[in-house]
Amino acid sequence: MKELIEKVKSSIKDIESVDKSTLRVLFHDTLKELKNHHKIDAYIGDFPTFIEPVHLGNNVRIGDDVLLGPNVYIGNNCELGDYVELSNTIVLDNVKLGNNFTLENCIIANDSKLNFDILKEKNCILKGITDIKENIEKLDF
Amino acid sequence: MKSFKLFHNNKESIEVHYLKFNIGKNKNNDINTKLLKIWQKKKMSDKEEREIGRIQELESTNLAREEIRDLVIETKKKVERDNDLLAERINKNFQKHNIKSFDIVGAIGAGKTAILEKISEKISSKYKTLVICGDITTRVDADRIEEHNVETVQINTGRECALNAYHINQIIKNKELSEYDVIFVENVGNLICPSEFILGTDKRITVVSITEGEWVIEKHPMLFKMSDIAIINKIDLLERLGTNIDKMISDAKKFNPDIEVITTSAKTGENINKLLEIMGLAE
Ligand SMILES: Nc1nc2c(ncn2[C@@H]2O[C@H](COP(=O)(O)OP(=O)(O)OP(=O)(O)O)[C@@H](O)[C@H]2O)c(=O)[nH]1
Ligand SMILES: [Mg+2]
Repeated sequence: MKELIEKVKSSIKDIESVDKSTLRVLFHDTLKELKNHHKIDAYIGDFPTFIEPVHLGNNVRIGDDVLLGPNVYIGNNCELGDYVELSNTIVLDNVKLGNNFTLENCIIANDSKLNFDILKEKNCILKGITDIKENIEKLDF
Repeated sequence: MKSFKLFHNNKESIEVHYLKFNIGKNKNNDINTKLLKIWQKKKMSDKEEREIGRIQELESTNLAREEIRDLVIETKKKVERDNDLLAERINKNFQKHNIKSFDIVGAIGAGKTAILEKISEKISSKYKTLVICGDITTRVDADRIEEHNVETVQINTGRECALNAYHINQIIKNKELSEYDVIFVENVGNLICPSEFILGTDKRITVVSITEGEWVIEKHPMLFKMSDIAIINKIDLLERLGTNIDKMISDAKKFNPDIEVITTSAKTGENINKLLEIMGLAE
């Protein structure tokens, strides 16, 4: 995908000398490739509140009624559920959090999938791929 | 048609009618008894009037299904109580650090940011100032104010139409409060929602402008009842608009005899020094 987008970018750089027929093919190929990524990438639900600074990575999906910030970093490809509230927290890449999480001063390890609802934590590292709260690896710091 | 007119001319008759209509409808016995008591007495004390206002507000939750109505009402009360408690704590915290704090509310475009710009310009060299800006989206206001050498934090509320104490607490618990002398909060622009939530500032300032028409204060009593200072802004436009400012001033005073009313122009800077004096920030 990235490659195709780069090609589109360079082919329209000089608008005077665009070769229309090549562009048309490229355009088509790109849209076709897009179909393979059939989902919506980045998405923010209803009623989000952000208190700066907040960093959102690429391809982040965020549920309804969240409160993010201040001082929140969300890495790439993360998914946060509804009613998630984060402050002073670093969420590394490819993390999934369930609904109704309240985290303060936390780091969520990359690739963690916390697939359950309701979690309230402070001052800790969280890690794991789990459907039950009890199975998370946790280190207070 | 006659009764319609009556209702609109006589505040008390609206309330009495309202009470008559609602007694017995309410499942919550406590509220029922109060309604009945208040209705029978007819003449209402200040406290009771406030209570009525409160009950009327709660009644707007009537969209809730019968089974959960009491729960909705209780929850709503609890949320406001929690907000008030938190606001109290915030204010104690400000006072501990000798911080003067102001919550600035007002209609969209009344000139809240413009006034804050003028204030910042004048005080930033003397007082270490933090401005918290609430908006649905963008950082436009924070950027404008930052031009005048004060620190800003932007909150984007998405669809919420007012800031609450929790937002403020989230911000200040990350700040070294001893570093600040003055904290301003510019609330989300509108004259309705902010009245529900106090933020824990020492003073609340409501800004309206003469372009909103001379009825704007009369039409929004709640905020002025809850404010310490009312600013009537954009008086540089007075000649053009011919707005009846005296009426606006007397409306504000009528709702709240203790309120300080000041007319300003954020454009020409008129009366900004006087405003600073009222706020206790003059040189
Ligand atoms: N003529 C005149 N214009 C003013 C005055 N104060 C503000 N304005 C203008 O009115 C417009 C809105 O002012 P803002 O300061 O952005 O108003 P606001 O209350 O912060 O608006 P929101 O944050 O959107 O609710 C701007 O174009 C200002 O330049 C004033 O005293 N006189
Ligand atoms: Mg503004």
